[in-house]
Parts: sequence; C-alpha cells; structure tokens
Amino acid sequence: MRPLDWIVLLGTLGFIVSYGVWKTRGSKDIEGYLKGDNSMKWWTIGLSIMATQASAITFLSTPGQAYEDGMRFVQFYFGLPIAMVIISITVIPIFYRLNVYTAYEFLENRFDLKTRSLAAFLFLVQRGLAAGITIYAPAIILSTMLGWSLTVTNLIIGVLVIIYTMSGGTKAVSVTQKQQMAVMMGGMIIAGVMVVSYLPANVGLGDAVAVAGKMGKMNVVDFSFDWNDRYNFWSGMTGGLFLALSYFGTDQSQVARYLGGKSIGESRLGLLFNGLLKIPMQFLILFIGVMVFVFYQFNPPPVFFNEAAKSKVYATVHAEELRGLETKYNDIFEQKQEAMQGLVTALKTEDETAITAAQAEVNSHTAAGKEVREQVKSVIKKAVPDAETRDTDYVFISFIMKYLPAGLVGLLLAVIFSAAMSSTASELNALASTTVVDIYKRSVKQDGNPTHYLNASRLFTLAWGLIAILFATYASLLDNLIQAVNIIGSIFYGTILGIFLVAFYFKRIKGNAVFFAALLAEVIVLYCHYFTDIAFLWFNVIGCIAVIVFGFILQGLIGKKKKELVA
Amino acid sequence: MNDTHPVDEEPGIHKPPFFKRWAGMYWLVLGNLAFLIILFYIITKIYQ
Repeated sequence: MRPLDWIVLLGTLGFIVSYGVWKTRGSKDIEGYLKGDNSMKWWTIGLSIMATQASAITFLSTPGQAYEDGMRFVQFYFGLPIAMVIISITVIPIFYRLNVYTAYEFLENRFDLKTRSLAAFLFLVQRGLAAGITIYAPAIILSTMLGWSLTVTNLIIGVLVIIYTMSGGTKAVSVTQKQQMAVMMGGMIIAGVMVVSYLPANVGLGDAVAVAGKMGKMNVVDFSFDWNDRYNFWSGMTGGLFLALSYFGTDQSQVARYLGGKSIGESRLGLLFNGLLKIPMQFLILFIGVMVFVFYQFNPPPVFFNEAAKSKVYATVHAEELRGLETKYNDIFEQKQEAMQGLVTALKTEDETAITAAQAEVNSHTAAGKEVREQVKSVIKKAVPDAETRDTDYVFISFIMKYLPAGLVGLLLAVIFSAAMSSTASELNALASTTVVDIYKRSVKQDGNPTHYLNASRLFTLAWGLIAILFATYASLLDNLIQAVNIIGSIFYGTILGIFLVAFYFKRIKGNAVFFAALLAEVIVLYCHYFTDIAFLWFNVIGCIAVIVFGFILQGLIGKKKKELVA
Repeated sequence: MNDTHPVDEEPGIHKPPFFKRWAGMYWLVLGNLAFLIILFYIITKIYQ
C-alpha cells in the first residue's frame, strides 16, 4: 500500500461515515430511527437494496468465480426480477396497509403473538450469525493479502459501521449505501477498463471476448436440465426465484429498506429498479473476472493466488517441491504463449481450421497447467494441513494488488470495505429493529416512551455490532465456518418462508395451525440435517413445503374438533 | 422528520413513471428479463 492508496482509502471511508452521521443527526423517535420517517425516494431504496445484497464477498469472489467457471453464475439471478414483481404486487401493499416496522409484526396481525415471536427468533439466530460472517469473510482475505491483523481488520469494518448505524438508524444505512454503491460501481468499472487496457497491443476487447469464448468462459446461458448442475437456466428460474422471494420478502435486512419509502409507489419502484439492474450488475462483475482470466493468458499468473499460504509452505521441508512445481508451471505458460498468439491471429482471420487447431493446442497447455495447480494444492495441504486450498477468492484482490497503479489500489480496497460495511449496516439495523419491535417492545416493556425505545434501538444496534465483531474475531477457530453458517441459514430460512407464504396465500390456515406446523417443519429439517445426506440447500424447500402441508393438515384437524365441540 | 434538516415536502409518487398503470412497469421488468436472457443466449452461441 502506497501513501496515495491510504489517502484514497481513508478519505473515501471517512467521508462516507461522516456524511452518514451528519446527514441523519438528531433522530428523535423510533419512527425516524427504524423507518427513516418514511422519507426515502425510490432511487435511494433501489440502491440501498442492491448495496445490502452486494457484500464484500460479491466483489472478491464473483470475479474469481468467473475466472474459474466462466459467466454462467449470472443465471442464478434469473428468478430475481420475477420475485421483485411478485413482492411489489402482493407483499408491499400488505406491509403498507398495516404500517408495520418489521416483517414479523405482520405475522401477529395475520396469526398471533407466538408465531410472530417464533419467526423473529429464527431470524435473529440466523442473521446474527451471518452478520459476523459478513465482517469475517472479507477481513480474512484482506488481512492475508495486506498482512494486517485479522482482529484490526474486523474492528475497522465493525466499528465504522456501528458509528453511523447507531447514530442515524435506517436512514443512515440508506443514505450511506448510495455513496457506497457509487464507490463500488465506479471502482469496478475502472478496474474493468484497466484490465482491458493491460491486454497486449494486438488484443482488443472484441478479441479478448472471442478468446474467452474459445476457452469456455462465455457460457452465459445453459438451457440443458441437470439436477447436479448448480447453475443453469432452470435452477436460476426456480431456485433463484425461491431464494429471492424469501430474501426480499421475509428478511428484515431487506424489508427495512423498502419499508422506509415515502409512499407505496416509491417502495415499488425501488424494488423494480433492483429487478431491472441486478442482472446487468452481476454480468458486469463476472465479465471483469473473465477479462482478468484473459489477462492471465498473456501475463504469467501465480501458480497459487493466495501468496500467504505459499509463504507458509516455503518455511517447511516442502519448499523445494513447491519451487519445482512453480518452475514447471511457468514453463507451461511460456510454451502456451505461441499457441495464444496463434489463436488470436486465427480469430482475426476467421480461419476455422486454424482456430480449431490453435484452440486444441491452448486447451492442452491449459490442462497441463491445471494439473500442476492441483499438485501445488496437494503440496500445500501436505505442508500446511489447515490451509485453504481454494484460491478463487484471491484471484481479483491478487490482480488489484499486483497490477493496479497507486490510488486505484486504495479505491478498489474502498470498494471492498464499502461492500462489507453496507451489508453489515443493514444487518445490524434489521437485528436491532427486530429485537426492539418484535421482542422488547412487544413482550418485555410495553409502556416506554418514544425516547426510551429510541435509546433501546441504539443500544441493541451497538450490542449486535459487538456480537458480530466478537463472532468475526473468533470465527477462525471453527472449521469450515462459512458453510456452517449457510447450513444454519438453510435450517431456518425454509420455515420462515413457509410461515410467510401461508400468511399471504393460504387464508384458511390460522395461527395455532401454522405455529405448530412451523415447529414440526423445523423438527423435520433438523432430522434431515442430522440423520440424512440431503444437501443443505434443499432444507429451504423441505422446511417451506412442510409448513404449508402441516398447516393444512393441522387446520383441518382443528376445524373438525371445533365442529364437534359446537355439535 | 428531525429538526436539523429542511423538511422534504415533496409527496411520494403513487403512479409509475412512463405508464398509466403499475402493470406496465411489471411488464417492463419481465420484458427486460426476457431481453437479457435472449441477449445472453446469443452471446453464448456466438462465442461458443
């Protein structure tokens, strides 16, 4: 990090935090603090929704994913615009009519207090853990790459977020997210332009895309159906729709973004804005990853992108083995250069025979390089057993640190910090509002004055922020933590979505039936988790369907019992 | 609204821009999705 990078990084983050505190100073009641006085315009809501979903991992992992797997991840978002339309038509009018602060408040109106408290509790457990990971995941990558202390990196992200979220509540979250989105998108576009400008003089943007296509990276849409294929058109349209409905319709960290709208129309437009722009945004981030891939076809890539893990191996008896593999990898790269130039020339002349021949040669060198990379991973695992051998998360940050000029490195780090802060801020704000509105104000202290609840909201924001930092600091002690949190999320998400789907679309089912159906569904999901091999993503579907089916059965039984009593 | 900022008196919108009814906006979002899928399909086919 050069002085200019520090100036850009600290200046950007300092400005965003100060602006958030200044712009929202003086909130006097819970209405202003938790709903931003219903003053948000549609573009603020739209940008805030996008910034909440785009965490730091989006900007670190997505380009790396495209580097490894091509563009096909974009299909995962195909269901999102449909979900935005469904939520705009059905969910938003209900939330506005009931003038709720949280999504779970609606459940008491529709069912009863115990169902509301159950859904709020499930959300707090799931989102409380996720907030720690939102801080930890980028912090571990940044601390590894920059040589910073993990605790200090966690503290920087966590404390900055707590300052403005505690001070200005929902409005501070939304207004800072506008600046953060500007930094994120501006930084990514500049990074994309820089990658293309670093390509050899005879390789233009069109040639780069053609090369990427010939190397299997422009696989944007795949209509073939395969249960085992995670990303294709069908999984995006069904699974993506399902996930987007539950995330945007029932997760308070998103619901709070559009509940602060100036009118129902502003909230709708904000969601539809997300529906229009989310897929192009993901396409752009993936495309930058593909361009980084093309860049490394003409410039020597490291054999393993996580340099810190490699350094650890150099300190062991396996150092020579690793050096030997690195030399072999670099030799393969040198041999590949002639084939790459042959491919570019063939593509320019549109000579199909020459293209096929060059493509075969490039693919053979690429396969040889991949084989060496696999051997390197085995050596790393052997030398440092607890090292992470998946290095795709380090591809983009490694490129930034090595090739971007002074100032732009600081800007791209500001992009990653902004993304981490924007997601964490929404999470802390949602955790605090759910704790105050659905638990504290409803079941613990009902006779407080507005100032009391405002102070309670601030204190709960601080408390959840400290819990998130603490969890992020000790997260490395747990094995495979991100997967663990995803599993915990899937265990609860299906049940919460099931409760909301019953509330919105199955009017016949009442409070007692849905409450016990949710408990039964949770037992089934836990059984699947502990006693079967079902992949955890399916827990969402199982939990949701179980709530609906048990809801119908129990309602039928309760209705029958009532009729018997009346008779 | 807090007392440290000028109050934004402009009312929130109730009607969608460009269209008379919200259905128009919904079809715009769905049409955009269809357009993007077709565009992505063409890109996949051209560069395969």
